[in-house]
Amino acid sequence: MRFPKKEELLKLQAQYKTDKKIGQVLGVPAYLVAYWRRKKKIPKHSLPKYSFERVKELWETYGDDRKAGNELSISKAAFYKWRRKYNLLEKPKVLKLAQLEFSLPGSGRGKNRGLTIAQKGLALKVGKSGVQVGEIVYVEPDLAMSHDNAGLVIKQFREIGVSKVWNPDKIVIPLDHRAPAESEKTAEAHRSIRLFVKEQGIKNFYDIKEGICHQVVIEKGHILPGELAVGTDSHTTSYGCLGALSTGIGATEMAAVWATGNIWLRVPESLKLTLNGRLPLGVYAKDVILYIIGELSVEGANYKSVEFYGDTVENMSVSERFTLANLSMEMGGKFAIVPFDNVTKKYLKGRARRSYQPIYADENAIYENEYEYNISRLEPQVACPHNVDNVKSIDEIKGIKIDQVLLGSCTNGRIDDLEIAARLLKGKKVHPDTRMLVLPGSKSIYLEALKRGMIKTFLEANCVVLNPGCGPCLGAHEGLLAKGERCLATTNRNFKGRMGSTESEVYLASPATAAATAIRGEISDPRDFLKK
Amino acid sequence: MLKEIKGRVWKLGDNIDTDVIYPGKCLPILDPQEMAKHALEGYDKDFPDKIQKGDIILGGSNFGCGSSREQAATSLKFAGISCIIAKSFSRIFFRNAINQGLALVQSKEAYDLIKQGEVITIDYARGEIVTENERIPFPPLPEIVMGILEDGGLIEHLKKSLKK
Repeated sequence: MRFPKKEELLKLQAQYKTDKKIGQVLGVPAYLVAYWRRKKKIPKHSLPKYSFERVKELWETYGDDRKAGNELSISKAAFYKWRRKYNLLEKPKVLKLAQLEFSLPGSGRGKNRGLTIAQKGLALKVGKSGVQVGEIVYVEPDLAMSHDNAGLVIKQFREIGVSKVWNPDKIVIPLDHRAPAESEKTAEAHRSIRLFVKEQGIKNFYDIKEGICHQVVIEKGHILPGELAVGTDSHTTSYGCLGALSTGIGATEMAAVWATGNIWLRVPESLKLTLNGRLPLGVYAKDVILYIIGELSVEGANYKSVEFYGDTVENMSVSERFTLANLSMEMGGKFAIVPFDNVTKKYLKGRARRSYQPIYADENAIYENEYEYNISRLEPQVACPHNVDNVKSIDEIKGIKIDQVLLGSCTNGRIDDLEIAARLLKGKKVHPDTRMLVLPGSKSIYLEALKRGMIKTFLEANCVVLNPGCGPCLGAHEGLLAKGERCLATTNRNFKGRMGSTESEVYLASPATAAATAIRGEISDPRDFLKK
Repeated sequence: MLKEIKGRVWKLGDNIDTDVIYPGKCLPILDPQEMAKHALEGYDKDFPDKIQKGDIILGGSNFGCGSSREQAATSLKFAGISCIIAKSFSRIFFRNAINQGLALVQSKEAYDLIKQGEVITIDYARGEIVTENERIPFPPLPEIVMGILEDGGLIEHLKKSLKK
C-alpha cells in the first residue's frame, strides 16, 4: 500500500469522515489511516456539529441520553458527551412539550379522515355522520345552565317577546355567584329568578343553599357523556370531565336559546393533549393544568376543543378531570374533554337518570396540534399576577408574603381538595398575619367534610369557613382584597382587580400549596409538609 | 350592509380581560347606560369619561379573554365605542360583542400600522381599514355573524326572524 497524498486523504475524509471508514475503503486498519493523517498534519475529522440550542432542546424534551441521542442518530454515551460539553448536567425538572404532529387547520376534510370528539358530538346533534372543521351548525343543547346572571337572561328573554321557554326541563339554574345576596340589586335579581322559574315551570332551580353551579350540574347528573351543554359562565367547559361537549355563552345568547332552543356553533379545531407519568408527591391536577397553560399560553386553545389522553388522565378521578376541563377555559378552550371510561361510568352510577351515548374520537382523527407531556418530574406550580399563563415553579417564587389564602371555587372546592388542605392544616394554625377562607364547592361536599372532621380542622386552624358559592373568586363579596394585598387562591383567574382592588395581586395554586402557604404566611412548598 | 365606521383610536395591549373591561363587583347592574360608566375602568379609572361617541378600540391579541359576562361588550357599546379591532378575540367575547351589535374587525396587521389617537375609517363593504397613509384589508366575518351585526344585535335579529 502506497502512502496516499495529502489531497487524496482530504478527499477521502470529506467523503467518509472517520479513519475507520476510510480504512475500510482502502482495505487498511484505522490506525494506519490515523498515522498517515498525523504525518500529513491533517486533523481528525471534526465531530458533527450539534449546536448548544439543539442539544439543550433535545435534553429538555427527553431528559434521557438514549432518547435524545436517537434523534441525532448517535449513541447514549455520545449524547452525554455533548451535553457535558455544554454543561447541561442537571436533569430537566419538567420535560418540554414535544410537538408531535402539525397539520393545517381544516386538513381533516378528506373522506377517510377520522373525526375528533367535537366533530362527532356536533355531527350527532345535527343527525349527520360527520361535520367539517370550520362548518357552522345549528344545534339544540341538552342543557342550558345559568346562575345569578339568569336575572339578565330573563331581562333579555322578555325583550325577545316569547312567552314560554323552549323546554323548561333542559334549563338548570343554581344561585351561587352572590349567595346569599350581598346587595339589594342582587336580592332583586334573585327574586326575579325565583318568580320566573315558578312561572315557567323550571324544576331544576337550586336556590342559594346548594352550591357552585358547575359542581351542582355534575353532582345532580344534569349533563351526561356525549351531550351538549351551554352555560352563561365561561367555566361551563368543566362538564368535559364526564366526556360532554360544553361551553360558555353570554346572557343575550342564552335568552335566545331559552326562546328558540337553538344556537349556532362553529365546528372547532381540536388539540390532543397526552399526559403520561405518575403525579409526584405534592403535585396535583391543578399543577399539571397550570403548567400546560404556561406552555400553551392564555390563547393557546382559543376557539379550539381540547381532548385529554394518557395514563395520568386515566388514573385521575372525576374531580381531578374537572380541574383540567375547568381551567382549559383559561387557555381559551371551547370544549375540554376527557373521554368517557370506567371512572366516569362509576361516578355516574346513581346520578344519571337517562341513558347516554359516550363519544370517542376516531383513531385517525385529525388534530390541529398534538402535545405530549411527561409529568413525573413536575413540581408544584403557581400562576403569578396578572395572567394565568404567567406560571412559575414553586422554587422560583416561594417566600412571597401572602395576606389571604382562598380554598374553594369550581376549580378546587371538592372533597379531595378540602381533604389535602385539612391534612396539612391538622394540628396547625394559619399564620397570624394571614387569613384563610374555605368555601366548600357544594352542600354535599360541605356535609361530607363535616362528617369527616375537616370543617373542625379548618376552624381549629383559624380558617373562616363560608357557605358554598363563588363569592370572592370573582370579587363579588366575602373576602375582597385591599390595595397592596396579596392572595393565594385555588381559583381560576388572577386578572388585575379580579378579587378587589386593581392594586392587589392574586396567585393561583393547588389546595396543598394553599394550605402550606396559609401556615407559613408566605408562598410555600407543600412538599415541606408532606415529606414527614 | 353595515355603514362605514369612522372614529378615533384607543390603542390597548394584549389580553385585555373581561375583569379589566368590566369589574365583577358591577355585575348586578342591569341598565346598559349604568354599565357604560364602568367600561374599562380596571384599565384606566377615567376611561369612561375619556371615550367620545364613535371611538374605536384597537387591541392586541386575545381581546376580551376570561369571563362570559356580556356586560364587557355591552358597557363598551353604550360608552360609545363603535368598533373593536384586535389581532384576535377571545371566543365568548367575540360572540357577546356581535350579539350586542358591537362591530368587530379581526386584523393581525392593523395593530402595528395604526397609532393611538389616529382617526380611521372602517369600510365593511370593501373589507378595509382606511388610515391616512394606508388601506389595510381584513377578512370578512361569517355570514351568520354579519347578519346579526347588520340587524343591530341578536335580539333584533331574532325578533325579525320570528316575525317571518
